[in-house]
Amino acid sequence: MTGNSPERRGLFARIKASERLTVLAFAIGVVVFPFLLVDGLQIVGEAIDVSIGGYVGLPSLVLIYGIIVVGFNILLGFTGLLSFGHAAFFGTAAYTAGLTSWAIGDPIVMVIAGAIVATLIAWPIGFVSIRRTGVYFAVITLTFGQMLYFWALGPGAWLTNGDNGFSSLQTQPLLGTFELDAVVLEGVPFLESYTWEYVFIGLIAIGGIWIANRIINSPYGLIFEAIGENQQRVSFVGLDVSRYKLMAFILSAHFAGVGGALFVMHEAYLHPNTAYYWIQSGDFVIMTILGGAGSLIGPVFGAFIFEYVSNIISGVSLPVIGAIGSLWRIVLGAVFVIIVWKFPGGIYPPIRDGVARLGAWIADLGGEEE
Amino acid sequence: MSILETTVSILLNGLQLGAIYALLGIGLTIILGTMNFLNLAHGALYLIGAYTGLLTIKELTLRTGILYDLGFQTLGLGAGFLAALALVPIVGFVVGVVMERLVAKPFYKRPHTDQLLVTFGLALIVEEVVKQVIGGNTFQPAGPTELLGVTVSGPINLPIVGAFPRWRLIIVLIGVIVIGLTGLLITRTDWGMVVRAGTRDSEMVTLLGIPIGRSYALIFGVGAALAAFAGLIGITYQTVSPQIGTQQALIPAFLVLVVGGAGSVRGAIVGGVVLGTVVAAFQQTYSQWTFIVLYLLVALVLVFRPEGIFGSVQVEE
Repeated sequence: MTGNSPERRGLFARIKASERLTVLAFAIGVVVFPFLLVDGLQIVGEAIDVSIGGYVGLPSLVLIYGIIVVGFNILLGFTGLLSFGHAAFFGTAAYTAGLTSWAIGDPIVMVIAGAIVATLIAWPIGFVSIRRTGVYFAVITLTFGQMLYFWALGPGAWLTNGDNGFSSLQTQPLLGTFELDAVVLEGVPFLESYTWEYVFIGLIAIGGIWIANRIINSPYGLIFEAIGENQQRVSFVGLDVSRYKLMAFILSAHFAGVGGALFVMHEAYLHPNTAYYWIQSGDFVIMTILGGAGSLIGPVFGAFIFEYVSNIISGVSLPVIGAIGSLWRIVLGAVFVIIVWKFPGGIYPPIRDGVARLGAWIADLGGEEE
Repeated sequence: MSILETTVSILLNGLQLGAIYALLGIGLTIILGTMNFLNLAHGALYLIGAYTGLLTIKELTLRTGILYDLGFQTLGLGAGFLAALALVPIVGFVVGVVMERLVAKPFYKRPHTDQLLVTFGLALIVEEVVKQVIGGNTFQPAGPTELLGVTVSGPINLPIVGAFPRWRLIIVLIGVIVIGLTGLLITRTDWGMVVRAGTRDSEMVTLLGIPIGRSYALIFGVGAALAAFAGLIGITYQTVSPQIGTQQALIPAFLVLVVGGAGSVRGAIVGGVVLGTVVAAFQQTYSQWTFIVLYLLVALVLVFRPEGIFGSVQVEE
């Protein structure tokens, strides 16, 4: 039974727990993702005569939401605070980035400006919100998001263009040279879906995962997790619980801000409904829970499934059932209920365990050959 | 309009909105107070009440949806408002009891966050099912013109404010009657006593040999019936679409809960009237700021008086 020997298990567990490997695996995923999503699924789809391939912009959208929910998960999955108001930071950063583009249209500047403003408003909002827990925390974050929503629709319309939506973006090429919509390697088969925008968003996503990974695995991040487990014990140890909660809140808002700025760049249009309405905050919750609250990469899977189903599966027409159309939301709601009910860890743990078993099996084979 | 006229008109409109908010808030608060269960699907119950009411009162002309595809051009009983008045609370009650047995019961021992999430998913499903089956389009309000031989539509001449929609006053009246009946049910019956005892110490009630689980199902049913009833009242003066559950019911219900205090029926009534008056006041003066001020007020209550005006139960976790 060589495969069960403790050393080999230990070796694999060490690899699995290695931080660099996590980030590396994610980076590899980011590199092959558009190919698999757009070209790969199209080939599969042609084989079974159902069009299930993604379109060129979809990988970017998935990564944008991926960035947001990885941050949101620091708050929900680790610190255990359920916010129904993160659209406040998403939307504020998006409007900030859009307005910044009037003066300086460089995407990097837009993202930094959006993220800074989102982080700045997260400080007072977080300071007030973390004083409450449970449902009160959910409601108070909701009130802040909704205040901004109604502000953007009415009194703030001079900035946000209200119900007509904000569309006057002036995004310039990245660093003045790389056109965001342009394909990196023009004319190469299978690389048509790799735009400069995707490269830009992909790099930020990898950086975001790296930072989130560092935070979660640091002593500081362990305290977040400890608060989620048992807040009272953490305070008995003598730590200032609210300080850590506030930091988790601000960090998650920062991620939401980066995502919001990238979102407006990607869509080139923003309506208060997508920016600030609480359903947007609810979507972040759904993605995080679906993917797996409490695991680093899990929520990204949630973002992928959510966006893939809502953009691609909703247009699929199956031979027997007919058009899926808008039925997808019922299916999504049902899947969400089942996951909350029976699999609180989300869909990521089964995937991870499957990969781990595969890895152990391969390690086993290698061991027998020796 | 003089200041006096504006004030009185604001108060009347506030009472009318407050009656609906209070109905919603009471349902939510008794479920929370008794079973310590947070129900984000409360708006879905309002939605079910609204559509049940609409289908009972009128015959709808369908334009989209699965039923339309199946060949139904029109749908509904066309039985009028009184029939709806009897039917809607019954439907709401049954839906509530079924929901308690199937969804809420397994979650009593789970954290509040899980309860919020599972009922949030449920709310999404109900909204989508309604949209798919009956269609996502908007229907016109279905207020009655005559009840028991008395005209209930059109304007009525009141002192100070002058002409005022008669139906709005009747909504206040209906609201007061229904809330009063609920109050009697809880304070004056044996069953209500079990429920109140269960709020204090459910373990002790069980030890006394009283099947508290049955009371739980009943109280959930009553809360759901109140939400459904609010939905019926809502459709008599507002347009109806599948979004009303989350937009016009769920959030107001939670705001009332927070302002009034969790678990307090009196708090829900006062909270409902306070929030209704605030909304009415700003809609008549600075309408753009209505909801900003509403949410600001709730945030202030949460910061400075988290137990609400009449909070009896502090929701922990």
